[in-house]
Amino acid sequence: MKFKADEIASVIQTEIEDFRGQIQTAEVGRVIEVGDGIARCTGLSTAMAGEMLEFPGGIRGLTFNLEENSVGVVILGDSLKIKEGDEVKSTGRLLSVPVGDAMLGRVVDPLGNPLDGNGPIMTTDTRPVEHEAVGVAGRQPVKVPLQTGIKAVDAMTPIGRGQRELIIGDRKTGKTAVAIDTILNQKGTGVKCVYVACGQRAASVAGVVEVLREHGALDYTIVVASSSADPAPLQYIAPYAGAAMAEHYMYNGEDTLIVYDDLSKQAIAYRQLSLLMRRPPGREAFPGDVFYCHSRLLERAVKLSDELGGGSMTALPIIETLEGEVSAYIPTNVISITDGQIYLEPDLFWKGIRPAINVGISVSRVGGNAQTKAMKKIAGSLRLDLAAFRELEAFAQLGTELDAATQQQLDRGYCMVELLKQPQYEPLNVADQVIVIYAGAKGYFDKVPVADVQAKEKELLSFVQTEHADMRDKLIEAEALTDEVEEALKSALEAFVSRLDSE
Amino acid sequence: MSEQLKTRPDQVLEDPGALAVASQYARSYLSAAASQDSGDAEEELGSFVDDVLAGHPDFRALLTSDSVGRKAKLDLVDRVISPRSSEFFVNFLKVLIRHGRMELIDEIREVVIRVREELANQQRVQIRSSQPLTDKSRQRVVRQLKDKLGFDPILQESVDESLIGGLVIQVGDTVYDSSLRTRLKTLAGRLTERTLYEIQSGRDRFSHSD
Repeated sequence: MKFKADEIASVIQTEIEDFRGQIQTAEVGRVIEVGDGIARCTGLSTAMAGEMLEFPGGIRGLTFNLEENSVGVVILGDSLKIKEGDEVKSTGRLLSVPVGDAMLGRVVDPLGNPLDGNGPIMTTDTRPVEHEAVGVAGRQPVKVPLQTGIKAVDAMTPIGRGQRELIIGDRKTGKTAVAIDTILNQKGTGVKCVYVACGQRAASVAGVVEVLREHGALDYTIVVASSSADPAPLQYIAPYAGAAMAEHYMYNGEDTLIVYDDLSKQAIAYRQLSLLMRRPPGREAFPGDVFYCHSRLLERAVKLSDELGGGSMTALPIIETLEGEVSAYIPTNVISITDGQIYLEPDLFWKGIRPAINVGISVSRVGGNAQTKAMKKIAGSLRLDLAAFRELEAFAQLGTELDAATQQQLDRGYCMVELLKQPQYEPLNVADQVIVIYAGAKGYFDKVPVADVQAKEKELLSFVQTEHADMRDKLIEAEALTDEVEEALKSALEAFVSRLDSE
Repeated sequence: MSEQLKTRPDQVLEDPGALAVASQYARSYLSAAASQDSGDAEEELGSFVDDVLAGHPDFRALLTSDSVGRKAKLDLVDRVISPRSSEFFVNFLKVLIRHGRMELIDEIREVVIRVREELANQQRVQIRSSQPLTDKSRQRVVRQLKDKLGFDPILQESVDESLIGGLVIQVGDTVYDSSLRTRLKTLAGRLTERTLYEIQSGRDRFSHSD
């Protein structure tokens, strides 16, 4: 294609002719102190709390402290380029980020600037980063399940659309993996996903983006990245920016999933800002309003009422604990805000039980409401059975002679633990989960040696998919284990067992 | 005394906390002067700062230094200032010395001038232009400011060639910017914004075969 030089020249000429330079009016102030990502300014007498300011060179700032004689500003950019005496302009706008379909598949910083080198983002829609959560009347109970594709989670700590489920655990226990699997499992469900990386290593963010891209999940996902090299103010606003991007879809009646990875790093960034702003330190040197910092963020995750379009935002905040200390300040705060937690343990992880979910203390306060009927029916007793198994296992370790019934219960337990293991990036359809757990709980795997259970599970699933696809389709369609489906499932499982026996 | 090293750029404002304290002293000084009917308090303060302190930096250092005791400072004021000034002003100086606020004297004087201007419905206006203002344009600016904002402007002019043309007027914290530099910047921004979409779609046309 060849450009027509005349045409372009005339377009530019009309642009210039139409341009009426208006007198720009702005409130200004001056920087009297700058450093460590914050600035103190005089002037700006009408600045609002949370207003966006502009420093020379287009660097943006956010009013944080309004004091008697000065304004404390956090700098959302390179604070080294700002000098004492520089002019600060108020913009009269609250901090907002671009939203919309153009953001899908992109990796952006917390201000919405692209980081992936795929050119500018073409969208005119914006939303304020800080937005008040919906009130009581605008909500409805969480009833629709959000399938994570992880057997242990969907069976025992089910997550509903609009729920806040905390993923908590020490470093290297697979917290991000649980969240990423959940995003991968949303493929084809119409759920839009936002992954907020807050204070993560840039390398691990790049890794996550690559995994999402490989599995085709980036098409419905926005990645908001602020690495640990970014200034603290950017790490602090990243979760709010991600929430604003998800809210855009939620208020348009769509379902969204947002992952905050992780909020302990955000709390640390907020602590840094607050201490530099000379706000008084409290427990663990966190400022007094660190609870509000997280509660107002997580309160934005809702299931909207039908009048508001019925959209939802499901939040999966992640908290990293130190040496399993869940009674530290930030973990207890976030545990009390969320509707349940998935607790990951290093001991289980190293024993090879992955995902390393501690079933005993992981809960979902929304519970069975957010499960399909089929899953509810078969998983109802699973948690108690596993608890009984753990007790029995501890008892059996004493080397006591066991009667046949107890031994069988123990073997069934080992088999179930094995069945709940699941490799990374392989989320399962809920129907497949139902089939596997049903088979395990009803003893169809009893004769399989524990070491072979995972291999036989795969065989079972491919067997069902190839030879009993109609039964599986019915199960997917009905979402319930009707008598008819159950009979079909039983006969399929019997056929599978007899095939195993004949091998 | 050795020559003072310049450590801060001129445009930096004084500590806002100190300014708030100075403002308190200045307002008290003026209201006390008004109630006691003690002549032209403002002129006396101005002359003290301009003629006495500015003319004798060593004397200023004596009055503001921490190494000179309060008693010594008060005695100094008694010996040097008392015979040549009103009793009211000497009392004011003594109050400043007793409270250790002598170094705020310049700020206090600034605030006193501001307060007087406020009472006379005057306000300072900073005007930046690319070329020095002519008398005619200056009169026009003054007249327009008076019409629009309703006070007598005191113009503080400066020349900034990088503006290219037009004026930047600052009243208090508000800046009215009609300079050519800013207009060109806005135009450039608008042109890129409008054409960005075209550029992007043109690029997409090359990268996608359909």
